[in-house]
Amino acid sequence: MADRPQGPVGVGAAATVPVPPVVMTRRRWSLPRVGAYKQALFILLLIVLSILFVYPFLWLISASLKPQGEVFDNRLIPNTIVDPWYDNFSEVLDRAPVATWFFNSVWISGLGALLVTFTSAMVAFAFAYFQFPGRTILFAIVLGTMMLPNAVTMIPTYLIWTRIGDFTEAHSFLPHIGVNTQYPLWVPNMFGSAFYIFLQRQFFLGIPRQLFEAARIDGDSYWTMFWRIAVPLAKPALIVTFIFEIQAKWFDLITPLIYLTEDKLFTLPLGIKVLLDRYGVGGGGEGEWNIIVAGTVILVVPMVIIFALFQRYFVSGITTQGGKG
Amino acid sequence: MTRARRWLSGFGKRETWAAYLFLVPWIFGFLALTAGPMIISLYLSFTNYGLEQIAGIEPTKRVGLEHYHELANDDKITLALKNTFVYTLMMVPGTMIVALALAMVLMRISKALGDVFRTVFYLPQITPPVAVGVLILTLFNGSFGLVNRGLEFIGIQGPFWTTDPSWIKPALAIMSIWAVGGTMVIYLAALAGVPKHLYEAAEVDGASAWRRFKDVTLPMISPALFFTFIVLTIAGLQTFTEAYTAFFGPGTGGAENPDAALFYAIYLFREAFVNFHMGYAAAMSWLLFAIIMVITLFQVFVSRRFVFYQGQR
Amino acid sequence: MLRRWKQAAFLAALAALVATVFGGATGIASARTEDRTASKHFRIMGFGPGDEIANVRADLATEALARADADVQNPSGGFDDQKFLAALASRDVPDIVYMDRKKIGSYAARGVLVPLNSCIKNQKLKMSQYRKVSVASVTYKGRIYGIPEFTNPITIIAVNSVLRDAGVKPADLNTRNWAKLRTAAKKMYKSSDGKVTRIGFDPKLPEFFPLWAKSLGLNLLSKNGLRASLNHPKAIQALTYANQLIKDQGGFDRFNAFKQSWDFFGNKNQVDQAQVGAWPQESWYYAVLARTTKAELTAVPFRNKAGGQITYLQGNAWAIPKGSKLQGLACTWARVVTAPGSWYKAVKVRFDNQRRLGRPFTGTFTANRTADVKIFEDLYQSFGSKAYDNAVRLLVNVQKYGFEQPASPAGAEYYQAMQDAINRMLSGKQTPRAALNQAQREAQTAINKAKK
Repeated sequence: MADRPQGPVGVGAAATVPVPPVVMTRRRWSLPRVGAYKQALFILLLIVLSILFVYPFLWLISASLKPQGEVFDNRLIPNTIVDPWYDNFSEVLDRAPVATWFFNSVWISGLGALLVTFTSAMVAFAFAYFQFPGRTILFAIVLGTMMLPNAVTMIPTYLIWTRIGDFTEAHSFLPHIGVNTQYPLWVPNMFGSAFYIFLQRQFFLGIPRQLFEAARIDGDSYWTMFWRIAVPLAKPALIVTFIFEIQAKWFDLITPLIYLTEDKLFTLPLGIKVLLDRYGVGGGGEGEWNIIVAGTVILVVPMVIIFALFQRYFVSGITTQGGKG
Repeated sequence: MTRARRWLSGFGKRETWAAYLFLVPWIFGFLALTAGPMIISLYLSFTNYGLEQIAGIEPTKRVGLEHYHELANDDKITLALKNTFVYTLMMVPGTMIVALALAMVLMRISKALGDVFRTVFYLPQITPPVAVGVLILTLFNGSFGLVNRGLEFIGIQGPFWTTDPSWIKPALAIMSIWAVGGTMVIYLAALAGVPKHLYEAAEVDGASAWRRFKDVTLPMISPALFFTFIVLTIAGLQTFTEAYTAFFGPGTGGAENPDAALFYAIYLFREAFVNFHMGYAAAMSWLLFAIIMVITLFQVFVSRRFVFYQGQR
Repeated sequence: MLRRWKQAAFLAALAALVATVFGGATGIASARTEDRTASKHFRIMGFGPGDEIANVRADLATEALARADADVQNPSGGFDDQKFLAALASRDVPDIVYMDRKKIGSYAARGVLVPLNSCIKNQKLKMSQYRKVSVASVTYKGRIYGIPEFTNPITIIAVNSVLRDAGVKPADLNTRNWAKLRTAAKKMYKSSDGKVTRIGFDPKLPEFFPLWAKSLGLNLLSKNGLRASLNHPKAIQALTYANQLIKDQGGFDRFNAFKQSWDFFGNKNQVDQAQVGAWPQESWYYAVLARTTKAELTAVPFRNKAGGQITYLQGNAWAIPKGSKLQGLACTWARVVTAPGSWYKAVKVRFDNQRRLGRPFTGTFTANRTADVKIFEDLYQSFGSKAYDNAVRLLVNVQKYGFEQPASPAGAEYYQAMQDAINRMLSGKQTPRAALNQAQREAQTAINKAKK
């Protein structure tokens, strides 16, 4: 990627020295390493804490392997494991279209996360880089949208979607977008989201101005500056956004609850709730908690995997390399 | 030029139009999907909007400031606000400190182990809130829960976390801090972006670890600190799910919904969807909005001196 | 090279997006699919596929509707207030809803449900087959708004081993004699090291407070749902007594902490482990016990001060929301689904399945008197335990002495006020009298504001 000569970069240094764009290297750790003794101490501390953090998870997994009568027996290592060990899981898959729900969730979460990352980045860049009239007011409005609890806006929003649905039904060349479809679940992600806009703005603001100045001098367009400089340098923030939104969408219950009425469109958390209604005690069910726990494990494990896969990307900081090597 | 004229002249510049072009997605979404409901909910707070009006059985009538008067006289509002503030005051600093400490420790150990621990510490973030609610009741059980058994081990008689009104909020705050993974991840990303040569320069200058932390790390990650400070506060003031599942949900049998856990968002939810006082709930929402706005402005003002951006003009 | 990869990825994403919006490419984003052969589409909310007892009856009703040229949409999931509100707001209501009877009162009193009187007449629906109190709990101002299902009657479950160990007889658990009950509770109570290790008698506060009040002859909410009597002297008396039981047994903190540690649904539940002497419980728990433990128990009826049996009933019902376009069909559905013949067929399937799996059947209580009798006489067979046989017989018989929460425009607020008051008292913040005074104020204000 380094097709331009290197040069010194200084934070806060006056931009008198023509500063070239950055050399991108993958640096894992910015803080100095510490001696082996201290490391061992840290690791010990982390292990102790980890037990606390991991316990509920282990509990969930262990419970999903147990038979109905032992789910809550508080033993981390199951007394009896169902035979075959995946029996609870195959029961769940048998009794409800869990695979369909899983796929729906993958689709909606993935698409929604991709959309919101991209659009929030655009908006965040505008707030971070440009100076323009109305910047402060608009940013205040962006923040403001985070401050209103969404209980009350739920019904008016639902009504808007009903109108949209009526409109698209009246004009049959348009696909049906409205309530009882999955569109209301991910379309709002096409417009950025206050939380991520704010987050990414912070990171964009951390990019030294000189890099942009040099690009302007070289005649780059705004879009190129955004796409070629800001985005790669703020990649940690973008990946964080992507992962956070995948999870938020994945676990969201209330939106699918009010917009979806057809079983085959349901997402996974809604599906788990259905299982809870059916097999928990409330609905006259028999308290088949082992099925519900197995469903919960299916819900949770993909998120663990996603995080495990992506996490190294947002800590591999991209640093600017100084002339003193 | 007058200020207004100067402000307007900004629209002549190419930069302004470019900026607005970048903003188009958000502006469109705001006008289409966000502004409408916000304005409608504000309007509803001045009406008698309730179940009959939702179903179209009776017309919506304006009632002026009646709901806001009610707010001022409602004891439960005062209780809910107090609970929410106390909880937020415990949760925000606690989360920020623990997250930063964890992030810094994680940065200093070897890469492979770091990956594992990072995932481990992030796990609570992806535990479904429903499970968290159940966990709160199990772990914090006054007689038999792990927390108190652990405390007993070191000779402390733990309180009855789930039934003693003075200890419910600390228990919930601790559960929140346990879900520190998200904040930790943001700090990790921020720490990774601190230019290494600054540390080297500081070491060369003979600065101690504490001074390196205070003068290099903190300023360089201050944008992230600022962000989490604001966002955690807003989240804390709107906290709902864990407390609702543990103390108010349908599965609790009613024996555990004490006043001490009545957070503002829970009271709001109940008024809107259980008692169908939509107009009143709308008024409650906007009261909370105003409070959050004031607090956030205060935070922004106070942080102005401490936040340092490398790229700001 | 990296650049080109990124470009390709971006274009691919864009293409996928376009394809989705305009192609409904995978068919996932498309809207309702309906059986295009039927002319009418009947929509249910709040029921969904479930166990044999639900599905068999639903199938029978679906057939009945098919004969009227209608297909049935029965999406999964229980009833949700938010979902129902959203449907009402968009004027796109389902044709029939299934919800808790306590909720029906509130919705009906606010005019959101359709009175069933005309449909009952048209379809010649025999209301006398249903339990009077269950119908009464969904009747407001003389109009019926629901067809009931299930009663879940409450009886006291006593654990024989604990009674024996403490020298207590089932007759001592007669709630007619409070002093004797208190003594029995204290005898069965055990604690060690500052923790409760065995509860003698759990009065189940706050859930069953109405039952305690009723044992003194008091209705906490008037039959027309408009007057609360939460701070009536008898209510205060009942609450004080129940609270006293808890105070005798470790105080609320310890009492509750111990209760929470039970493996309620599991094999090592509190009956199996002799962790409790006796407590009032809904009927469905007998099925859990029969499946999980061999410990012996005795079913004891709750009694009032005159010595007569009483019980508290609750369950679900079918109702028709205002704006439903297929009200006649809705009525047909409700009629078929709760007919004695349907109940019988459904319970028979369940019974056979349970027997095949080697599991005991402990009765189903349907809110339909005719069905209950038929099920008990023709279907129920002893699985070898006299204790359970007696329990089932008691459950069948005690229902006629049951009562339910009446329909009220502010039913939810009334219930919340009562719960909050009892919780405040339990946590020591208020005396029973002060707590109930506040509850009465809150509940009555809410009712007055909501009634028309």
